[in-house]
Amino acid sequence: MKTDNPLSTRLHFQDADAFYECLLDAHQGLSREESELLNARLILLMANQLGDTAVLRACVAAAAKTAATPG
Amino acid sequence: MPETTQIHDKAPAALAATFSNGYEFAQGAGYALPEYPFIEPPELRTGEVKRHAVAIVGGGITGLTLACALAQYGVRAVLLDEDNTVGVKGASSRGICYAQKSLEIFKRLGIYERIAARGVQWSVGRTFAGQDEVYAFDLRQQQSHSLSRQPPFINIQQFYVEGFLVEQLYSPAPEDRLVDIRWSHRVTGFEQNADFVTLQLETPAGAYALEAEHVIDCSGSRSPFRAWCGATVTAQQGDDRWCIADVRFKNPPPAERHTWIEAPFNEGRAVWQHLMADGVWRIDYQMPPQARPEEVSREDVVRARLKAQFKSQSGRLLDDSDYEIVWVGPYAYRSECLDSLRHGRVFFAGDAAHVMSPFGARGGNSGVQDADNLAWKLAAVLQGRAAPALLDSYHHERHEAATHNVRVTNRTARFLRPADGAERLFRSAALGLAREHVFARQLVNTGRMSTPSHYTQSSACGPAGGRATQNVGFAWADGRPGELLDLLGWAHGRLLLLSFGDVSAAALARLAALSLEAGLRCVQVICPGEKAAAVEHVVDVQGHLQATCHVFGHAWALLRPDGHVAATGESVDASLVHAVAAALGAGPGGKENP
Repeated sequence: MKTDNPLSTRLHFQDADAFYECLLDAHQGLSREESELLNARLILLMANQLGDTAVLRACVAAAAKTAATPG
Repeated sequence: MPETTQIHDKAPAALAATFSNGYEFAQGAGYALPEYPFIEPPELRTGEVKRHAVAIVGGGITGLTLACALAQYGVRAVLLDEDNTVGVKGASSRGICYAQKSLEIFKRLGIYERIAARGVQWSVGRTFAGQDEVYAFDLRQQQSHSLSRQPPFINIQQFYVEGFLVEQLYSPAPEDRLVDIRWSHRVTGFEQNADFVTLQLETPAGAYALEAEHVIDCSGSRSPFRAWCGATVTAQQGDDRWCIADVRFKNPPPAERHTWIEAPFNEGRAVWQHLMADGVWRIDYQMPPQARPEEVSREDVVRARLKAQFKSQSGRLLDDSDYEIVWVGPYAYRSECLDSLRHGRVFFAGDAAHVMSPFGARGGNSGVQDADNLAWKLAAVLQGRAAPALLDSYHHERHEAATHNVRVTNRTARFLRPADGAERLFRSAALGLAREHVFARQLVNTGRMSTPSHYTQSSACGPAGGRATQNVGFAWADGRPGELLDLLGWAHGRLLLLSFGDVSAAALARLAALSLEAGLRCVQVICPGEKAAAVEHVVDVQGHLQATCHVFGHAWALLRPDGHVAATGESVDASLVHAVAAALGAGPGGKENP
């Protein structure tokens, strides 16, 4: 289906549970500050994997929208 | 050790007699700049109000570039400067980095050789965070700079460039000078109607008025014309504070641009280390936002900073006798862009039109491009080759360039002065990654060096046009080496059509007719070994003409006097005729200024 939204919300994970576990493990034992820095590094690394400006913008917008309406 | 640096390496005798012509270099007191004489204008006696086609207000780098370019196109102008010197008295600050596009413009204006002889070339930049080098670049390796005959950058104090421009304007015999420079003239009043502007002027010998059909305001960021014209400004003010120390070392550091994002010798704040002419180094320190200018610029404080910096670099203590302080200046920057660069008969250029942070050398270099953009358009309109509507494209093109430059410099400012919290967090993350991964160096923003503007919104440029060409080399028909600026010089303010590859007899006839009708200059560009059909032809020995015009194979490229591509196409047909009309302000997109 063709859509104007460049953000793909279709399931793309090969193994979502494994990623989630890996992410939590990486944060284990870190202070809040260390965790924040890890996340920031991770975002930049992942953003470079995506590369595409429109996709990145859509991701930021989608994340910001969710952040504004917690829960 | 005071030293005199003569800028008049080949000064005409008449000049040497009238000007105090040395930039004297005195420790701690900056340069003594040349002074130009106030000459009482005849209007003061006669009371006559003269009408000029063009009045330029402000003899800084923008106004003087414009004056020189107009003179080269054969246009008369009067230039009004409130001071009697170049630069700012006692200050050696302001621009130091001249980008390739500016250098190409200065080459056309005849002062490039002097800039190259006096200035310093550099291409290597290194960025540090803490004790580590995060990354280095060499501009010569980058494709965007590799084709031109001019280097990526030359560093030189701005007043030298301005002084060279003044001397260029004074180089013809007095009766042959097209630009009448009026020093010590302050503009104190302004009004305009549909046909002309009236300026009230104050001079040491009294006040008078003059009229001008076009006024170009190059009077800098404190321009009174903004208020007089009711110009609106989009602005942003930050709290970042800096302090420059221009110094000269006995044992100079390497001829490279060094930037520290978090300098251990500056309390973890940024530092710039850059070179310029006469062996002078500009060291620019980021200060805490609440820093008091009078304190951070105090000599003992400056010397302590220098000692801390060069101790950490060379491993030994810097002695006061190892260097001299040329000039110290604290500053804060802001960004401003006029929403319209044209108000009736007034055009805004340089800092009068836009102000930005110094990162990437986009201030002076964009003023030079403003001047170059407007000069050929004014010449073409005043000499009857273009429609008056062409002048509106000045706003469209240079406003796009200014907003781009403001956006780019604001991004750098935000990287260098991140807000506490997430902004600082992401900078730490980017710096950490950049040490290990090449991709992350792209995120480390210590200034994106000035590149030629690309006009994407202009009605005077076709869809494939708007880019700047570089001053590439080729061979003339007789085999001698030539460069693109020679061809633009030959076109002398007219559009230049480069016709690549074969040209049929029918196309040649159409080109000849178009040349006559639109005042176009045409050149056939052939590959080595190809047979020329046109008398006027050149050989694209290395394919650089094709590359810089972004065309391939059989094609045409229409170049403007400012070296920008107006349009490109494949066959000599109606599309070329339309492109020529559009480039001269008569295209369907051209609209009259209200």
